[in-house]
Amino acid sequence: MIDIKKTYKNYVHGKYVRSESGKTYTKELKNEVYELPLTSKKDIRDAVTSSKDGYKKWSSTTPYLRMQILYRLSEMIEGNKESYVELLMYHGLTKQKAIKDIDESIQNIVWFAGLADKWEQLAGNLNPVSEEYFNISHQNPIGVIFSLSGSDVSLNELLMSILPSLTVGCSVISYSEENSVLALKFAEDINNSDFPSGSLNILTGKFENILNDVSKHVEINLVALHKELGNDGLKAIEQNASESVKRIVSQPSIEGLSSILPYLETKTVWHPKGT
Amino acid sequence: MGNIKTFGASMQWSNVLEMVHESRIDSVGLNERVNSLATRSIKKDSKLEALSMVVSMCDLTTLEGEDTEGKISQMVAKAIKPNPLDNSVPSVAAVCVYPSLVGIAKEKVQNSNVKVAAVSSYFPSGQVPMESKLLDTKYAIDSGADEIDIVINRKAFLEGDYRKVYDEIVALKEVCQDVHLKTILEVGDLKTYENIRKASLISLAAGSDFIKTSTGKLSIGSSRQACYVMLKSVLDFESETGVKAGIKVAGGIRDAKDAIRYLVMINEEMGSDWLNPESFRFGASSLLDDVLKQIKKLKTGAYQAGYYFPRG
Repeated sequence: MIDIKKTYKNYVHGKYVRSESGKTYTKELKNEVYELPLTSKKDIRDAVTSSKDGYKKWSSTTPYLRMQILYRLSEMIEGNKESYVELLMYHGLTKQKAIKDIDESIQNIVWFAGLADKWEQLAGNLNPVSEEYFNISHQNPIGVIFSLSGSDVSLNELLMSILPSLTVGCSVISYSEENSVLALKFAEDINNSDFPSGSLNILTGKFENILNDVSKHVEINLVALHKELGNDGLKAIEQNASESVKRIVSQPSIEGLSSILPYLETKTVWHPKGT
Repeated sequence: MGNIKTFGASMQWSNVLEMVHESRIDSVGLNERVNSLATRSIKKDSKLEALSMVVSMCDLTTLEGEDTEGKISQMVAKAIKPNPLDNSVPSVAAVCVYPSLVGIAKEKVQNSNVKVAAVSSYFPSGQVPMESKLLDTKYAIDSGADEIDIVINRKAFLEGDYRKVYDEIVALKEVCQDVHLKTILEVGDLKTYENIRKASLISLAAGSDFIKTSTGKLSIGSSRQACYVMLKSVLDFESETGVKAGIKVAGGIRDAKDAIRYLVMINEEMGSDWLNPESFRFGASSLLDDVLKQIKKLKTGAYQAGYYFPRG
């Protein structure tokens, strides 16, 4: 039998692509050594172009359909559970912990799928005013999100850095350092779940290489850091981001409804009451 | 078919026929040359200069049924000052509109150096009697157009009636007199490189000041290959007659990178003398937006978003 090895590639605009730089970096796990794409400045540029387009499609998808697509993602992961568990064990997790991680991931996807057509009722509101008009705060997705995933190897953690913003209709560029093998495997299930191309792009590499480009890119609307960066790193990001008034959230809440709030923008409208 | 010498025609018909009949093109060689020209590496400073040049060569265009006075004045404002936050970005060469909007455009450009170009002769199809084409053109000129973009009679061309194509352009040039005449070949309709060369030579012989690739209304717009055929025709025509014409590429050129590739081609094949708005133009609606973004990207190092630049 020939031993066929998988080439791990970034997932951009519904396609598996190598870094345009041709560069990779090495990650050694228990079973073998992985060569992963080392994302460059131009890869980020391409991913943002894709995400802009993905945002248009994904945010205009009906909440009902978004819910179904998210639910389908949980079905895909359920079907590939064993291979996820195996991969997590290569990373050094016990079988028990690995199974727990996948189970929690699936549960969380289902929870967010359920939220897809309800968050607007929960997060928006009718404001109390003492005049003859309605005053309504209507919530909108912010746009293109760059999300740096956490340093623990966990599918659930990776998902929690993506799902809140994806659920409300943002498009997401998910970037992993430690979680990279898992993230690129996860991209295959994304590809099988009917997400419009560009709604979720998955890249791997060293964040320090692209920190400046990401924080300066005018078309990224929010940078979510699910990983602790040194003070210098965070300061540099915030300074760069100020030029385009980009929002930066460092380790945002991943609990319940509060998890989606950073990714929303409020539009307030008023409407006269009929007499 | 007598040899009628009319106003503006640069070459008599019998000579045109001779040139047209010699049109043979090696498409494999052409593709190879064009593709190799597209791989030139352009360094940062040159890129900035090239992008500025692209802006100055743009014919900022809107040719839609929905064009209104408001839309034209917005576009003209953008044409005069493409990036209000950066004075080093030059004005575009011209704005290009339908004849009925020339008056408004003319009023808005005032004394800036932006010219007003009008498409006429029943752009984009040109499928009307000659009298209507003449009237259409005359109307645009009377309204103050500085430049006229006409379409060739593709029906006649594809039927093999080259004389009719020539005569129509000659007649329209007569209406134009010294108003700059750009003749659109609509390369997407012509299909072959030989046809593009023939149409180029006929248009040049009939007195066109510029030949232009496309209307922008077909899914097949300009291509670097078509432009290459046209530039060779322009050079051959110049060596034959001494008349120097220009080229305008339009339709489907959406990004700065592609525009620079055209400039490289012009520079290498024709020489830097041709790198100016008098000899080379881009027909652009979305191209300008990308060029402005790239200029700012080069200056700040940050990738830009379209919504920070003027609409129009």
